[in-house]
Amino acid sequence: MRLIAPNSLRLRLLAATVVTLALALAGAQVWLAGLFRDEVLRQLDTALVRQVDQLSARLDLDTAGQPRIDPAGLSDPRWDQPYSGLYWQIDRLGADGSRLPGVLRARSLWDTQLVLPADTLADGALHWHEAAGPQGQVLRVVERALVLPEQPHTRWRLMVAADLGETQGATKRFSGVLAASLAGLGLLLALAALAQVAVGLAPLKALQRALETLRDGRSSRLEGRFPAELQPLVQDFNGVLERHDAVLARARTQAGNLAHALKTPLAVLGNAAAAAPPGPLAQAVTEQVQAANRQVHWHLARARAAAALGQPGQRTRVAPVAAGLLRVMGRVHAGRGLVVEAKDLAPDLAFAGEEQDLQEMLGNLLDNACRNARFSVTVQARRRDRHLLIDIDDDGPGIAPAQREAVLQRGVRLDESTPGSGLGLAIVVELAQLYGGTLALDANPAGGLRASLRLPAVPDPSS
Amino acid sequence: MRILLVEDDATLRAQLRTALVEAAYVVDEADNGRDAHFLGDTEPFDAVVLDLGLPQLDGLSVLRRWRDAGRTLPVLILTARDAWNEKVAGIDAGADDYLTKPFHMEELLARVRALIRRASGQASPVLRCGAVTLDTRSGRVTVDGQPVTLTSHEYKVLDYLMHRPGTVVSRTELTEHIYAQDHDRDSNTIEVFVGRLRKKLPGELIETVRGLGYRLVAPPCG
Repeated sequence: MRLIAPNSLRLRLLAATVVTLALALAGAQVWLAGLFRDEVLRQLDTALVRQVDQLSARLDLDTAGQPRIDPAGLSDPRWDQPYSGLYWQIDRLGADGSRLPGVLRARSLWDTQLVLPADTLADGALHWHEAAGPQGQVLRVVERALVLPEQPHTRWRLMVAADLGETQGATKRFSGVLAASLAGLGLLLALAALAQVAVGLAPLKALQRALETLRDGRSSRLEGRFPAELQPLVQDFNGVLERHDAVLARARTQAGNLAHALKTPLAVLGNAAAAAPPGPLAQAVTEQVQAANRQVHWHLARARAAAALGQPGQRTRVAPVAAGLLRVMGRVHAGRGLVVEAKDLAPDLAFAGEEQDLQEMLGNLLDNACRNARFSVTVQARRRDRHLLIDIDDDGPGIAPAQREAVLQRGVRLDESTPGSGLGLAIVVELAQLYGGTLALDANPAGGLRASLRLPAVPDPSS
Repeated sequence: MRILLVEDDATLRAQLRTALVEAAYVVDEADNGRDAHFLGDTEPFDAVVLDLGLPQLDGLSVLRRWRDAGRTLPVLILTARDAWNEKVAGIDAGADDYLTKPFHMEELLARVRALIRRASGQASPVLRCGAVTLDTRSGRVTVDGQPVTLTSHEYKVLDYLMHRPGTVVSRTELTEHIYAQDHDRDSNTIEVFVGRLRKKLPGELIETVRGLGYRLVAPPCG
C-alpha cells in the first residue's frame, strides 16, 4: 500500500477514525477499571462487615469486668499471623470521654495498634476509614461502637481492618489486562477502518487513474463507471471536453472558411496584376497581394494550432499521419520522380497532441524536403523517454550552417524562384514550440538536409 | 487537349480560362458541383481543374463520384483549403494533384501539363516523334530542329496525337478533344487539319487507318 499522503482524504478519514477510537477505548478503560475497583472494594467491605459482626457477637466481659473474645469463634488463620493484613482491635471509651485504645487486639497486629480519628458514631452504626497500618500498609477499616448491658456506661469500639494492597493489586492486574485487550481491539478496529477507507475511496483512485490515462493521451474521455456521488462530476467533465472539441472544430471550420473567403479574391487580384501590363500599379498590387497572402497564411496556421492547446487526452499515431502525407507527396511531387518513404515507423508511436498540428508540422517539412531533394526523401521516427523524435532527410543541396538559423524565421526564403510563402518552417517552429518541442536543421549523413523534430510522445502504457 | 474548369468565382474562372486557352487548351466550364459532375461523367476531358468549395455539390464529392464510377480522368484540385489534412483528404478522394490558392498561373499550367503527360505515360515535357519535337511548355514544334508554325487547331491535333504515339485515334475522339462542348463540331474539319499537318511535317508521320482514324507511326516516339 502506498504511503498516506499529507492533506489527503485518506489521512483525514483515518485520523478522525483513529482519534475517535482512541478516545472511546480510553473512556472504556477508565470506566471498566473503575467498576472493577468499586466491586472489589464492595466485596472487601462486605467481608469486613461480616468480621465486625462476628467480633461484636463474640465480645463479652469476664468476671473481673474485663472484655474478652472467645478465640474459638475467630477461625481465620490470618488473625494469628503477624502483619498478615487482616486485623481487629477493641478500644474502650469511658463515660468521661477517656479513651483506652487497644484493650483487645488480634495477634496479627503484634506490637502495634490501629489509630483511628475519634469520630465514633452512634452505637451500632458502621463507620469506614482508611488508615495507616503496620509496615506501611494502607488499611481499609470498619468500626462499630457498642455498649454491653453489663457496663452501660462503657462503650466499646470494635474495628476490623484489611490491607488495601491486595485489592489494589487485583485492580492493577485487571487494569493491565483490560488495557492490553482494549489496545488489541483498537488495533483491529484501526485495521478495519483502514480497509474501510481503502474500499470507500477506491472509486477516487479509479478516477485518478482515468485522469492519468486522459492526461497521457491514452483516452480522450474519462472512462469507467463511478459511484453515484462521482458520476455527475465525471459526466460534467466529459461534457466540458466535448464542448471544447466542438468549439475547436468550429473554430477550425471558421478559419478554413475565412481562408477560402480571402484567398480566392487574393488569387484573382494577383493573377490580374500578373496579367496586366507592367507598371507601378501592377507591381504594387503584386507585392501587397503577396504580403496579404503571407499574413493570411501565417495567422490561419496559428489560429488552427492555438485552438488545440491545453486540451488533455490528445493522442495522434504518427504512422497513419505520415502515410497520408506520403500519399500527398507522391502525387504533388509526382513529376520529380522522387522516392518518398517512411523508415522504421513503429505503428504504436504516438504524438501527445492534435492530429492536424502533427500533419501541419510533418507536411511542411516533407513538402520542403520534396522541393529540395534530388532522388529521395525519408522520414523516420522513434521515441526516447517522453519525447518523439522525427527526422526528415532529403538528398538535396542542404543549407549552409550559417543560414540554417535564418530559414527558420518568418518569411525567409533561400530560393525565390520556387513558389512558396516562406512560412512553412516558421510555422513548424511555432507549432513545435507550442507543444514544448523543437525543430533543428542539420546536415544528414547521406548529404542534404535533415530536419529533426522533437515533440512530446504519448507514454508507453506498459511503462 | 480539353480541360474541364470547375470554379465558382466568376472572375477567377475567367482568368483561368484565358490562361488555359492561351496555352492552347480547349476549356469547358462549370460553376457548380452538379454541372461539373455531369460534364466529367459524360465528356472525355484530358484533365480537370477542380475547386473544392462549390455550390450544390462540393468538389470532393464530385471527385469521389467520378472515381466510384470508374472515371480516371486526371484531376488537379485548386483550392484555398491549405491544411494538410484537407490535402490528404483530397488526394485520398482520388485527386492527382493539389494546388492551393493563391497560386502563380505558370505553376498551374505546368501542373496541368504534367498531369496530362503522366496520364498518357510521357515522362518529358518535350515530346519527340522521329524528326518532330513538340515542347508542351512553350507550344513550339520543330522538324529536324527547325521551328514549324502551326495554327491553334493544327497544334491541338498534333499535341493530342503526340501524347498517344502508335495508338489509333478516331476522328470523333479528336473532335471531342479539340473542341469544347458548346462548339459547332464538324469532324470533316479534322481531315483538313490533318492534311495541313502532313504538308508541314514529314509526310509519313501521320498514318490514316482506314475506317478507324489516325496514328503517329514514326518510332521512336516519346
